[in-house]
Amino acid sequence: MTISTEPMDGEVTRVILDGRLDIQGSAAIDLKMNVLAGSSKFLLLDLTNVSFLGSMGLRSIVLPAQTVKRRGGKMALFNPSPMVEEVLKASNIDEIIPIYHDLDAAVAALR
Amino acid sequence: MESARLPSDPRARTPGAEPEMLMDEPQDRLQLDSRLSELSIVVPWAEALSDRYGLREETRYAVNLCLEEALANVVQHGYNNEPGHPIVIEAYVSAGSLFFAVEDKAPPFAPVDPGERTPRPLVLDAMEPGGNGIRLIHRFAGSVSYEPLPDGNRLTIGFPLSIAKKASA
Repeated sequence: MTISTEPMDGEVTRVILDGRLDIQGSAAIDLKMNVLAGSSKFLLLDLTNVSFLGSMGLRSIVLPAQTVKRRGGKMALFNPSPMVEEVLKASNIDEIIPIYHDLDAAVAALR
Repeated sequence: MESARLPSDPRARTPGAEPEMLMDEPQDRLQLDSRLSELSIVVPWAEALSDRYGLREETRYAVNLCLEEALANVVQHGYNNEPGHPIVIEAYVSAGSLFFAVEDKAPPFAPVDPGERTPRPLVLDAMEPGGNGIRLIHRFAGSVSYEPLPDGNRLTIGFPLSIAKKASA
């Protein structure tokens, strides 16, 4: 699992994940995610290249989202694959962290 | 329950095959230690079995997901993250489904579907970041059964070989 960031207009940071967000994948990104959650106002989590998401990966999404919210910011999820989206929906994550498949709509919702 | 192999299993098609012909075939039984890092063994094993039985992408994903959640549940909750305890996963086919029986020697723990017990909080601040593993197993597996053993637990997860998934049904 790799993680990279891309600054966008309006204080939005696009966080691009690539690989399996499983037990080992979440351990690999947790520190960086915590740093980003503590320093960014709006986080757009790009899941386009995430091939697998398990419950440990969900923790790696929910905890930073809570941190960002406590700091007055927001997180949104972008472009998960159908199976990854099913995991998000089965856990009701989609009801508290919105999922977008259109980049412009995601950025607009964050600002 | 009597298990059987599918015709796609080379051992079913070629009785009496020499052992060396089966070297690339995944074994049906996996012995693990109670560490989350053992997932690195489970993933390729599950992928090899998925290849053997020609599982569709959705079912392959469900197998991976449920095995990861089952392993994490045993290690974290059954054994309290203490290494050195056994976990055995046995794969078999019966009645058109691929089953994985996960056995441990941890204290009794019945994985009741939390979806049938408590509503999820729909506020981000109130959401517990954990507790989704059992829910995901029940949502993505075709069948889930639990059996207490004299000295442990057996969780059996089944995946219909002809049906892609249950979650979107």
